[in-house]
Amino acid sequence: MTAGPKSRSRVVVTGLGVLSPLGDRVAALHDALMAGERAIAPVEAFDTEGLPCRLAAALGGFAPEPYLEGGNLRPLDRTGRLAAAAAGLALEDAGWTAELRDEQEVGLALGTMFGSVKTIAEFDRRALEAGPQYVKPFDFANSVINAAAGQAAIWHRLRGPNATIAGGTTAGLQALAYGRDLVATGRTPAVVAGGAEELCFESFLGFARAGALAANEEEAVPFHAERRGFLLGEGAALLVLEDESAARERGATVHAEILGAATAFDPSRGRDPDKTAATCARAVRAALSEAGGAGRAPLEIDCLSTSASGSPAVDRAEARGLAEALGERGAKLPVMAVKGSLGEALGASGALQTAALIEVLRRGEIPGIAGLDRPEPGLALAPSPASSNLSARHGELRAGLVTSVGLDGAVSALVVRSVIGRMGASG
Amino acid sequence: MERSVVITGIGAVTPVGTGREVFWQALLAGRSGFSPVQSFDTSKMSVHVGAEVRDFDPAEHVRSLDPQSMGRASQLAVAAGRLALDDAGLGQVALDPERAGVVMGTTSGEPLEVELYNDRYVAGEVDRIGSELVTRYPCHTIAAQLASEVGFMGANAMIPTACAAGNYAIAHALDLLRSGRADLMLAGGADSFSRITYTGFARLGAIAPEICRPFDQDRQGMIPGEGAAVLVLEPAERAVARGARIYAEVAGYGLSCDAHHMTAAHPEGDGPARAMEQALRTAGIAPEEVSYVSAHGTGTPTNDRLETLAVHRVFGAGARRVPVSSVKSMLGHTMGAASAIEAAVCALAAWSGKIPPTMNFREPDPECDLDVVPNEAREHPVEVAMNNAYAFGGNNASVLVRRWHP
Repeated sequence: MTAGPKSRSRVVVTGLGVLSPLGDRVAALHDALMAGERAIAPVEAFDTEGLPCRLAAALGGFAPEPYLEGGNLRPLDRTGRLAAAAAGLALEDAGWTAELRDEQEVGLALGTMFGSVKTIAEFDRRALEAGPQYVKPFDFANSVINAAAGQAAIWHRLRGPNATIAGGTTAGLQALAYGRDLVATGRTPAVVAGGAEELCFESFLGFARAGALAANEEEAVPFHAERRGFLLGEGAALLVLEDESAARERGATVHAEILGAATAFDPSRGRDPDKTAATCARAVRAALSEAGGAGRAPLEIDCLSTSASGSPAVDRAEARGLAEALGERGAKLPVMAVKGSLGEALGASGALQTAALIEVLRRGEIPGIAGLDRPEPGLALAPSPASSNLSARHGELRAGLVTSVGLDGAVSALVVRSVIGRMGASG
Repeated sequence: MERSVVITGIGAVTPVGTGREVFWQALLAGRSGFSPVQSFDTSKMSVHVGAEVRDFDPAEHVRSLDPQSMGRASQLAVAAGRLALDDAGLGQVALDPERAGVVMGTTSGEPLEVELYNDRYVAGEVDRIGSELVTRYPCHTIAAQLASEVGFMGANAMIPTACAAGNYAIAHALDLLRSGRADLMLAGGADSFSRITYTGFARLGAIAPEICRPFDQDRQGMIPGEGAAVLVLEPAERAVARGARIYAEVAGYGLSCDAHHMTAAHPEGDGPARAMEQALRTAGIAPEEVSYVSAHGTGTPTNDRLETLAVHRVFGAGARRVPVSSVKSMLGHTMGAASAIEAAVCALAAWSGKIPPTMNFREPDPECDLDVVPNEAREHPVEVAMNNAYAFGGNNASVLVRRWHP
């Protein structure tokens, strides 16, 4: 017979692992965002000669060794190393030791847009240029899109469900929602969830050819009146999501609670800004409706962590969608747009936005948007530059909303609640 | 009560035929989908046989989008999705598009776009490279194209968990329906035949030179294939209310990771056994209630031996009694589509009381001592079918399908 009715359990965040161009600790990232820093610089990892855009936000000095000790790194490509390193930081922060991971099956849900298109392309080029018998088996193992999730699971012995979630720039947020479901339904006690993406020539060229990137000298600040496109980024953010009562029982520090999540789709695939805005509003309403589920106090959102990146049409549509779903009060809320500082990190972005928001809820101070000296007039939201003291204006931060507007029709939303003063000393 | 979720539509595009009935009859007849590879030149390789989908014209299936605007895996997926909706009697029926969604799985997404990129790159024609790696290659475009084609505005997810991806997609769709976040889901998997995939498996020495013989003592490997399958999933209550044909119920699933090696399975079949056990436990089904296992059954010496070990661990004394067959003996390994196709096989087995065979079987292997339904389809009432899939990355996924009793 079918199992009986199952109540969904509460899911909290007990670990944060961040590898960003502005720091490998969420506290450092927060400080940099508060200071209005931007990690944008000329690309050094590959040749951008002849391309209209030569800027990106790279993890310039990333070396895996400080994060991943005592194992053979050779089988892991760059994306695998980013995912494994961020997972390690998250597990360490959460106190999920190797012993605990041997006792219980911890899951992994990794969002990524490309996996490693660089590894796949190099594998194929070697077959073309040297001959099919000269390809490397290691490279083939890493050519599947779920390679990074597999490598991270091997490194940290994560034996639970192991999902890779694509979804373009919504992948990171979708992976968080997916991981939350695995915990909420009791399938696994904890899931490491988030996203990872590397910067590489193959995807850079594609975005440049698509005309999506701001050309050199052009403005790439989210919501800016003169913005012409976004700049690419890279990085990883992984969160340990855990059953709330189990987390309390083992005395874990709880950083935040995930209250609701949803994804909606626009069949015009982003070609019509009106539909993008409406789809954004639908995703936000669905996530809020889930967050305000039965038996919960009415929820007040106090901060928005948007996916605005500098894309003229998408930023505007996201603002309209948020304002439509959140009403008059929502349109005045403080607005974060970390892609202005970190670039568009594709599958990692939603998770980076979420980690940054959680730190904002914990610290009680909100960064404005770096470089936003002139917001677009008539915008449906009211974003502020980094220098403005948003926190003093807005008081207590109870909950925040993360949105991720994809370039291909999908829009995801996630509601995060602060646990400050809610879960006792440990929270 | 948790909502029961049923399968009401099946669409398949496979090396042995397109469409639910053609595909199913071909499998029951033991038809082979193997032939010399035509998609690319294999002259520099030691193997030359594949399981390609031939005579597939996407324009016959794609109605609202331009088939040329999408990659081959998307074409296969969109065709399978259209076939599934038509099969479910939903082709023309009004439904709330905001409550309808898509979850698809894949191994490689649209690798032909990387091949095109490289052909130009290697020829020194970087200037001719366009935006394809961004607009056509990323695997989420498969789910996006399908949802766009049929106008579904709800959940939209792509789960590229390699050769277990179809099962992962079905499992996620099941959760979305059970939790009431959707009322109709298309779930499945798709992959296109590609030189990248073929070259890689050839280099690993995993490809059989001529024929795929799962569980046979003389098995020499798998044969790469391509295809797509999409299932229509909806709450049983709604399906009954609209008088739909119900193939079977999706009873539950189990997911695990070996966390052992990227391409080599755990030496004791630990991960696969844990996925099967989790599926049975969470569905409240005892091992002895399972009447058919659709094996991952790739035909490689290692997979089939370890899968047998895992089946023994889970089914104990009953392991030799339960029929276990591999349709990869006919379809080859269709990668991310495989477990979606095999979930369709499980549903059709439960619906029809027939089990497709493991073809090309000659010599029993003492290390694969299961009832593999050799060479001939079998009439056999199927109450519960278990669909097993294993993948690169140590991913394991088992989906349980139960016969529907009206």
